[in-house]
Amino acid sequence: MTSKIINNALKSGRTVLTEVESKQLVAEAGIPVIETKLAQTKAEAISMSKKMGFPVVLKIVSPDIIHKSDIGGVKLGLANAAQVGKAYTEIMAAAKKANKKAAIYGISVQKMARPGVEVIMGMSKDAQFGPVLMFGLGGVFVEVLKDVAFRIVPLVRRDASQMIREIKGYPVLEGYRGQEPANITALEDLLLKLSAFVDKTPQIKEMDLNPIFAYKDGAVAVDARVILESQA
Amino acid sequence: MIKSSETTTARLDRVFNPRSVAVIGDKQALGYMWLRSLSHFKGKVYSVQIDPNELPGIAELGVKNYPNLNDIPGPVDYVIAAVPRTAAPRIVKDCIQKKVGGVCFFTSGFAETNTEEGIRLQKTITELANEAGLLLIGPNCVGVYNPKIGLCHNPIQAYGEGGSVGFIAQSGTHATLFTMVGARHGIKFSKSVSYGNAAVLDSTDYLDYLKADDDTEIIGMYVEAVKDGRRFLRSLREVSTRKHVVIWRGGESEEGARATASHTGALAQSSTVWQALIRQCGAIKVENIDEMIDTVKGLLYIKPSRGNRVGLIAMSGGQSVIIADTFAKAGLKVPLLSQRSYERLAGFFDIIGGSYRNPFDISSSFLMSENALHNLSDMLDVMDKDPNIDNIVLELFTIVSPFSKNKDTPDPLLEIISEFRHNSTKPFMVIVTAAQNEKIALEIRDMLTEREIPSYPNFERGARTLKRLTDYYRLRAGQSLN
Repeated sequence: MTSKIINNALKSGRTVLTEVESKQLVAEAGIPVIETKLAQTKAEAISMSKKMGFPVVLKIVSPDIIHKSDIGGVKLGLANAAQVGKAYTEIMAAAKKANKKAAIYGISVQKMARPGVEVIMGMSKDAQFGPVLMFGLGGVFVEVLKDVAFRIVPLVRRDASQMIREIKGYPVLEGYRGQEPANITALEDLLLKLSAFVDKTPQIKEMDLNPIFAYKDGAVAVDARVILESQA
Repeated sequence: MIKSSETTTARLDRVFNPRSVAVIGDKQALGYMWLRSLSHFKGKVYSVQIDPNELPGIAELGVKNYPNLNDIPGPVDYVIAAVPRTAAPRIVKDCIQKKVGGVCFFTSGFAETNTEEGIRLQKTITELANEAGLLLIGPNCVGVYNPKIGLCHNPIQAYGEGGSVGFIAQSGTHATLFTMVGARHGIKFSKSVSYGNAAVLDSTDYLDYLKADDDTEIIGMYVEAVKDGRRFLRSLREVSTRKHVVIWRGGESEEGARATASHTGALAQSSTVWQALIRQCGAIKVENIDEMIDTVKGLLYIKPSRGNRVGLIAMSGGQSVIIADTFAKAGLKVPLLSQRSYERLAGFFDIIGGSYRNPFDISSSFLMSENALHNLSDMLDVMDKDPNIDNIVLELFTIVSPFSKNKDTPDPLLEIISEFRHNSTKPFMVIVTAAQNEKIALEIRDMLTEREIPSYPNFERGARTLKRLTDYYRLRAGQSLN
């Protein structure tokens, strides 16, 4: 499948898609994703925020800044136009301070997602078996405990169902300590959509949907990262 | 790729069931291992050897020798080549000219050495074989084993009786070990093959063959890497729906971290992906040869498990505590029995010092108790009928042998166990703990094996096997494990 987003990136010699591009691609896969737009001025950021509805999140968009939060490149829970304007100025200043030479594409604006159970889904390619999908709980579960399950693409519903239930943290998805349970069928649907999408999009080398917020009535990707195969 | 109008699977049948075998290059230095391995072969055996010093030894074995493969009158279905590596290309050409069914190269020193000459020679024989459509097994392997027709690759391998287990091994040692150690555990083979460097035929070709082979119901595999992962995946997925497949993967520690830019990429190590693949295809993963033996034995002799609740019978108080701990740690449940079962037990259980919750402790005085055998039979029956119990495990103690030494009169305890194993509707295994005498334990296990009663040498191996099989059957039945 040829996507405009993929073609544009490859034409400009990039294999790492920006957050905005990554999310557009994920949306093309039919996966619900938090609407995210790229603002290149403060006024744009404010007008986008108003259209989306507050509260919003602002993040630096630069291929040279990987750990956005660490340098002050992310501002959460901005409740009105004034806060958005202030955050825009602060993020730009922080980015320039962190890396003078960084190419800055702008600042992404997105509606703050309703909190849910954080999960991660992703794809990478195995040298012998091709694309594989990963599922796990987000945050500390994936980063420290590596509590994840894999399946090889293409997945059938049974694979999706089993890999979700395979992780040790599965009870968290069932609603732990009064937290809202996650809709498992919705997560299975997402995995199947992801499987179908990567199966027909061989240009993608790796991707993370991290986090995805899982709710009792669905799930939405809050951040995404897509890396393309470099052109031979 | 093999060029042929006939499928590789159909053509491999001639190689796995040959009526004539030629050994090229067997010699004193190998102890004539190849020709001696074929001493019970139900077909024609030929030798090809040009070294005059070797001819008397070959003649002594009663095998007719020829200076060249093409001098042999009549067809040759299977060739074993144990020649110097530099002679390999010439032997491949001879095999092509002779139109043999297939050739196995025991010869090593090819790509596995990672030397320029080794890689070049392997490339040469691969190209020659592929061009002509010659089925080449290896190089660097021991090839085909078919006990029913006495086609062995080791002089002390079992022969005569075939079984339902097929084995595919990248390593020749593992093929030899598993077929020989397995035999002691009551595992009988349909066919096995070791395929070494997989220059022409790869694991998937053998998997496809055993998939089509009517004699094979269970397939074991030792594999390090496959050449075409997608093809292997498709084949494994298909065969696993019809036959049991157990996979032991080697080389997992050699995998270094790869350079990746995502969480997913960093976590998707090859060993993790293999584990996912095996699960996804509905096969069983094992970690070593013991687990391979335990699992295949269980598939052969333990009835398919439908649940994870275990009823345990141990031979002392201490052992009953530990057996319960071990099975629980393995992830199985050790529940209480039904009220009805306890009422029945209260009516007959008269072992002094024993107890019967779950686990049952039938106490070390068991062997001296008058009613012991009758009690045991009833206890097993209680467990068999109890709705809370899915699987039954019996420990046998070996401070002294529980069975009589006299082989002429049937041992009553062995009779009870044997009868239960055959009549019970539930999965059943015996654990023969060694105590201080491994030799007695081995004798007991051999006696049980003879009766097709699956036995395990300690609680851990028994528990892990039962858990592995239980998970497997439950997933196969579409149940979720969580």
